Amino acid sequence: MRAAALFWLLLVLAAALYLGWRLHEGLRFRTDLLALLPREAQDADAQHANDVVTAALSRQVMIMVGGPDRDQTRAAATAIAAALTQPKLMELTTDSFGKDRLRRIGELYFPYRRGLLSAQDRQSLLEGKPEAVSLRALSQIYGLVGMADAKLLQRDPYLLLPDFLTHLPVPLSRLSLDDGLLALRDGGDYWILLAGQITGDPYALAFQAAFGDALDDAVAAQRQAHADLQVLRLGAVFFAKAGAEQAMGETSTIGLVSVLGTVLLVLAIFRAVRPLGLTLVAIGTGVLVSLSACLLLFGELHVLALLFGVSLIGVAVDYSLQYLSEIFALEGGAPRERLRRVWLGITLATATVAIGYLTMFLAPFPGLHQIAALAAIGLAASWATVMLWLPALDHSRRPRHGERVLSWAGAFLGWWLRPRSPWWGWGGAALLLLIAVGGWVRFHPDDDVRRMQSLSGPLMAEQDRIQQLTGATGGTQFFLVEAADDESALQTEEALIDRLGPLLAEGALAGFQAPAQYVPSAARQRQNRELVHRELDGPLLAQHLGQLGLDQLEPPPAEDAAFLTLDQAVAKEGALGFLGSLLLTGGKGALHVVKLDGVARPDALAGAAQGLAGVRLIDPAGDFSQLLAKYRHRALGLLALSAALMTPLLIWRYGWKTAPRVIAPPLLAVLLAPALRAWFGASFTFFDGMALVLVLSVGVDYSIFLAETSAQRQRVTMLAVAMAAATALLSFGLLALSSVQAVHAFGTTMLIGILLAFLFSPLARTARPRPEPSR
Amino acid sequence: MRRFFLLLAVLLAGLGPALAEGPTDKRLSEGQVLRGQFLQERHLQGFANPLRSEGRFVLAPGHGLIWQTEKPFAITTVITAAGLAQEVNGNQTLKLEASKLPFLNQLYDMLSGALTGDWAKLEAGFTVTRSGDDQHWQVALKPRKADDPGMPFQALDVTGSAFIDEILLTKPDGDFDKLAFHDQAISGQPLSEAEAAAFATTGP
Repeated sequence: MRAAALFWLLLVLAAALYLGWRLHEGLRFRTDLLALLPREAQDADAQHANDVVTAALSRQVMIMVGGPDRDQTRAAATAIAAALTQPKLMELTTDSFGKDRLRRIGELYFPYRRGLLSAQDRQSLLEGKPEAVSLRALSQIYGLVGMADAKLLQRDPYLLLPDFLTHLPVPLSRLSLDDGLLALRDGGDYWILLAGQITGDPYALAFQAAFGDALDDAVAAQRQAHADLQVLRLGAVFFAKAGAEQAMGETSTIGLVSVLGTVLLVLAIFRAVRPLGLTLVAIGTGVLVSLSACLLLFGELHVLALLFGVSLIGVAVDYSLQYLSEIFALEGGAPRERLRRVWLGITLATATVAIGYLTMFLAPFPGLHQIAALAAIGLAASWATVMLWLPALDHSRRPRHGERVLSWAGAFLGWWLRPRSPWWGWGGAALLLLIAVGGWVRFHPDDDVRRMQSLSGPLMAEQDRIQQLTGATGGTQFFLVEAADDESALQTEEALIDRLGPLLAEGALAGFQAPAQYVPSAARQRQNRELVHRELDGPLLAQHLGQLGLDQLEPPPAEDAAFLTLDQAVAKEGALGFLGSLLLTGGKGALHVVKLDGVARPDALAGAAQGLAGVRLIDPAGDFSQLLAKYRHRALGLLALSAALMTPLLIWRYGWKTAPRVIAPPLLAVLLAPALRAWFGASFTFFDGMALVLVLSVGVDYSIFLAETSAQRQRVTMLAVAMAAATALLSFGLLALSSVQAVHAFGTTMLIGILLAFLFSPLARTARPRPEPSR
Repeated sequence: MRRFFLLLAVLLAGLGPALAEGPTDKRLSEGQVLRGQFLQERHLQGFANPLRSEGRFVLAPGHGLIWQTEKPFAITTVITAAGLAQEVNGNQTLKLEASKLPFLNQLYDMLSGALTGDWAKLEAGFTVTRSGDDQHWQVALKPRKADDPGMPFQALDVTGSAFIDEILLTKPDGDFDKLAFHDQAISGQPLSEAEAAAFATTGP
């Protein structure tokens, strides 16, 4: 025993040293909820595309700087941009909109102009109406908004290339270039857009802090000079930062209230400081060992796992309370004697609860693995501390107020002990059935991942304002086009674009960007050249030139000249920067993205992809919601599984006849908690399901404690269970106050479930343990 | 596009002083309409002859400008605060809403200044040289920033008497546009139905 206690001390010291070292190094926390979700490898290409697009989207940042005065606003925007780009926190893509860009685009496309047609011109030629193209060009040459340039006309008399260029889809069409900066006017205000990619992980706290501080400092400095400067922000990094700050704030508040509540409770019941010290030792070793073990196992922790982890205090404290409450027992006895009376109960409880937590490892959610590991290791550590250290550190005697404290517990137990007619039982059962049935009728699941995260209100308002100002829709849906090579991918996109045209007109979506719009397939370019040659080079050309009075033309490029390729377009740096983001690498063949803006009817878009080989509509938020639904079912499966795993242990211990009395209280809690939640209109999410898994484990704890106790010690055990429930409510229940919807749902279900498990726990007191197998 | 706006600004700016300094106060005000004929010659290098077009224009403060090319074929360009629209032979070929022309508002500020003879707003971007007398005057505009890519002309020379008579716009590569105006008249008559309808085409 002594050797084991010493060994445990060494282990705890090692854990403390490791945790201290990690804290010194600086802890890394992950903050995105999606990181908690499982990695499904069913479709590697879709997953890859999803990851690449999601990662690219999550790094995008838009900052708009606005003010009434153009020059002041420009100066402020330039200073803010410098504050972010000089420390390499962000790379601006709006930089590449310089005067060079148009020239580069021209250089890229010009040699291939005869294969590039705007949709309207192509349509006219396909319909055999080349005069329409001629007239369009003439009106542009003669009209007040003249585009005529002698050199251009000699090479492209129909102005085919300018028409192709002006019809290229341009994201953020409300903005225009003003002296090197992307700007727009709205009412009396002048706005500058700074858009780009952050250089770090938007979900890493350290980067969030560095980026956020640099921006805040720069804005504050500019505001000193111009008080009316407005700054709008849009980007995952801002939402993640706000969310992390909220979660960290909640963790410390909930943790503090939980610890304070537990401290006050222990002080009030024991009226001595030593039990408090012993409780804190048990909690402390649990938290310390589990935290350092999880950091060793996972490298980093998720903030949400930490939030759940903090609430473990409520469970870890149970074992020390079981032991400490024995001080009130009439038979008293030395510390080791008191431990002997409870050790089997707490060991059995630790084993069953650990089974409950470890079932979480069966769900492939990385975050849940962290929670399960935190819970199981923390509980085991607290158990070891109670078993090995507490009796040695304890010198307490039975306190004088012991009888009064026990009488409170006895009063609650007495309600159950009171003799009643069997109608009481039947009536109670009927009432419970009514509650359950009424609740389950109202029961409705909800898996929308967007409702699980709490998004900062002011940031949402800024996002709306930016979208309204720029015309960006911030959509996350896209088509994934998968093909053997780029050429076939481009041809597929051309077929897709034909189908999207009518949807655009109907308003099913606001816009889209496909690689094939920037670089038509070689087949399309060849067809365009043939069309131009057939329809425009004939007699019409002489007539067209005659109208213009132009007699000399530069010879057109050869018909068999090479076609423009995607590689060339991407390689021309600074010309079509965003084209690269539509082409994914790493797949087997070509993997292209068709980005969608302002999707109003996803079903219509899914229909557009039908029948086109290799085209799929990807909706990350929708996919995650589907996954949540799948895992909500899996959580219920885990619940059944963990009940099934516990049952043999309980039957082995209590026999067929009385084991149901032990399992009944937690089972009632698990069935009634979601029903009661549903009565109040709450929906059932995956997180409620996971809470029920824990309610089952904690509830089984209470049952076992009461089943293990003898008739004369029932009051002592009831007191310990009451205190355990109170501390659990203080920790888990407080999560109900969280503004993160997922945590709130988890907390509320825990609150109701633990309360029910506690209220029904005396049912287990009549279970008869079989003769103790060993001493 | 930008060149067009500058042209419009100059057109109106030229009107301002001319009208204000005329024998009677003919300053163009809300409710009045200036109508006239134009002849546009676009001289392009490599072309044997200039591209000639002619037609009518209607300038109405508070509404905008209708630029109606009749020869060699019918092109109607309408510009208002709401945006720009172009029709060829009755088919709309171009429509740009003001929201896609963010500097339209700014230019309108400049225009309104120009209309009241306030050259200061133009002087921010150009050196303005005036010569001649009220009956025969010249104004020469040169961009202050010679290498600004957003400034697609080298010089703008305006001559006028009661109204603007001629505008000469020289481009960096040697091409130039010549605009001559004649038969100009101011009337207090309201816009015709056709004119009002034309202005409405730029709206959403």
